[in-house]
Amino acid sequence: MNCEEFEAMGLDAERDATLSEAERAAAREHASRCSRCAALQDSWQAGRVELRAFAEDTVMAQAPARVEMRLRQEFRTQHVTLKVRRTAIAAAWGLAAAAMLVGAVSWRNWRHGQQEGTTNHLNSVPAADSSLKNSSVAGANHETPGEVPKGMQQSGSAGTASSETLVADNELSGFTFLPGAFAADTDDAAILRVRMQRGALSALGLAVNEERASEWIQVDLLVDDDGLPQAVRLPQ
Amino acid sequence: MRIAEQERDHVLLRRAAKGDEEAFTLLYRRHQAAMYRFALRMTGNSWAAEEIVQDVFVTLMRDPKKYDVTRGALGAFLYGVARNRVMKHLERLPREIPLEERNEDGTGSGIVLQEASTPAMWVEKRERMQQVRAAVLELPAEFREAVVLCELEEMSYEEAAQMAGCPIGTIRSRLHRGRALLMAKLEMFRDVPRRASAAR
Repeated sequence: MNCEEFEAMGLDAERDATLSEAERAAAREHASRCSRCAALQDSWQAGRVELRAFAEDTVMAQAPARVEMRLRQEFRTQHVTLKVRRTAIAAAWGLAAAAMLVGAVSWRNWRHGQQEGTTNHLNSVPAADSSLKNSSVAGANHETPGEVPKGMQQSGSAGTASSETLVADNELSGFTFLPGAFAADTDDAAILRVRMQRGALSALGLAVNEERASEWIQVDLLVDDDGLPQAVRLPQ
Repeated sequence: MRIAEQERDHVLLRRAAKGDEEAFTLLYRRHQAAMYRFALRMTGNSWAAEEIVQDVFVTLMRDPKKYDVTRGALGAFLYGVARNRVMKHLERLPREIPLEERNEDGTGSGIVLQEASTPAMWVEKRERMQQVRAAVLELPAEFREAVVLCELEEMSYEEAAQMAGCPIGTIRSRLHRGRALLMAKLEMFRDVPRRASAAR
């Protein structure tokens, strides 16, 4: 071991666990041969004594009690905040889930209602057919366009007809057959309720008061299976 | 709920993470002194050391998952956090050396001089201690760290290397250079009174 190696490793050879026993022996031997390195080691030992004294001076040092108090306060604050935050998050999720549930139930009910409506509509067509067969269709033939309520006046155009189609009640009473229609042709007919301008009645061959042609009225149409109206009725 | 003294750190930490204040306090009491000593010896400033200790434990409190039990002891993890804080502090205040450290009770920097039999000896030893302290604090941060860990904290080279996050060879080299600087400073401090008395 030379002086340079001794300075790097030999000064603390006894403490350095990474050195082998041979290296320690070499350091000891060098210190015994080299007076400069021996003096250096003595100087370092003196320095170590002073460092040790300095270390002992602060060995009992501890953080003041106020640090612990502050940390405990911080700990409480943090965990209370966390609890509150967790509760808020849980509540928000609960509300969201409830809203979803309500929405789903409402949608289901709405769909159910629509399906029922469609079923009723489908059921009502055969009922109309049978009622057409069974009821006194002929009786309706007695009514003429002249039986249109007094308030209804004639004129207007067929182009402004109907914005709404409804299933009307399936009784044939009060229907006025249109010109060219026959009561016998109503076997497969359906009743449709429509909303149209009064003037559109003229397209069906009815007389309309031109002054009131733009009024909107509800009309039941007896529609044949070819889609052409056979009879008309002005419901109350 | 009483917590057994020997309960392991990571169990305490898990409890603390769930809001067990007693577990956190126990952890703090186990490790605060070592952290404080290290920070005090590195910064030479009790206020800075106090803040560093607080920072270390606030970090542990806010993000306990940062500590991975498979990677070593909690003490080593805390040392690592403290070391980072110390280095940041030293970067901010590269040349700050407080003139005087005072304890809460108004005494000096905790220097215990029980062997000093006369006031003159007490003063002499106190001065010497201040010189050693100043010499350590004047070392560059990396050398100071090696000296503090190996000489003051009495860690082995392996432990010191682990704390500093560098190879053992680096620690040995830093320690070598730190010692050389320290000895030079201590020699200088020794010589000043000699020269002063010789001049008289």
